[in-house]
Amino acid sequence: MARTRGDNGGSDPEDAATLERIRQVLIRAVQRHCPPPLAAHREDFVQMALIRLLERTTGEETTARGTSYLWRVAYTVVIDEIRRFRRQQRQAGQLSESEPGTPGPEARSEILDCLSSLQDRRRTAVTLHLQGFRTAEVATALGWTEKQAENLVYRGLADLRSCLEGEDR
Amino acid sequence: MTEPSDDLVERFRAALPHTDEVRCPSAEEYWAAAVGELPFERLQSLVDHGASCAECAEAWRILGELRHEPDVAPGAMPLHPPAPEGHRPLMGRAFAPLMITAIAAGALWVAFRPAPIEPPSVERGNGSGSFHAESRPVQPPGNAVLRWSEVPGATSYNVTVLTQDLVVVHRSVGLSSRELRLPEAVGQRAAGTGLLWNVDAVLPDGRTVASPTFEVRLGDGR
Repeated sequence: MARTRGDNGGSDPEDAATLERIRQVLIRAVQRHCPPPLAAHREDFVQMALIRLLERTTGEETTARGTSYLWRVAYTVVIDEIRRFRRQQRQAGQLSESEPGTPGPEARSEILDCLSSLQDRRRTAVTLHLQGFRTAEVATALGWTEKQAENLVYRGLADLRSCLEGEDR
Repeated sequence: MTEPSDDLVERFRAALPHTDEVRCPSAEEYWAAAVGELPFERLQSLVDHGASCAECAEAWRILGELRHEPDVAPGAMPLHPPAPEGHRPLMGRAFAPLMITAIAAGALWVAFRPAPIEPPSVERGNGSGSFHAESRPVQPPGNAVLRWSEVPGATSYNVTVLTQDLVVVHRSVGLSSRELRLPEAVGQRAAGTGLLWNVDAVLPDGRTVASPTFEVRLGDGR
């Protein structure tokens, strides 16, 4: 399919409002979850992401696939931008101060070891929970019912706490 | 109800090691995982990677935040949904005895309920035990064909091909036959290595049956 730059609107007030909301949410998310030196560039990441989003999507495509498609593309391009920035910083040797190297075995230990010892499905559900996913979102990702996801997160957290208590003693 | 776990969240995030991101899955894969497009085995490997890579954990958290938006994931509910505003127990008195009985029954149920049943190991579809690869495990890179067994009732098949680092290199959607000829360029790029592939069989009601992940080794072309 031929893709033309910028023809998905921005002229349509509804599209413009959607893009503005995506921009705001992305900026907030980058600010909240990236370390300060990267978060300082949040406006740049998101701006670049939105430009690439407009390059990659057309009005027809967006209309056919709905707003969630715009979110999907926006997410992938903003992560790509962050990775690209990190690569450049790494090559320039500028990332070392903001992001320390891999922690030693002492720092790693407990919680990751305990997490990795959990039963597969509980580990997956708990890890998603620890990454900030809500129960319904864990359920969607795993293709389970919300009740099943809640149950696995609950049991997985209990196992994790129990393992950590054993480690702490 | 899931317990608040802020302390664990902080501990988890602080423990994540930084990586050089060389082996990180694509952001597209993460999104596909979040919307339930990936089979459990692949989702699991992505989630596990996010638990060993601070940079990917960051990508997961940004994804989580976006997924909270109502038009990104319609129907997603918060972990602790607030009570609807304006709710008034207009018939409270009339139903008070019933409510007391229900609460007592609930308390008894909580005290003596059987352990919850966890979901089966095959999360989607009707079991992957009979879903198997029918193509040869080692093939020439320029002429590789992936074949798989029939899933009764399937109307089409979606195939995803990945490198061993879980980078998607090819995806075919809506195949009516049970085979996929790998594009020559994809095969040539992977010559001398292996590719992972899996199939989602699409049933008439929209459910999918996910295959296990298969591997095909591609000769070095000599």
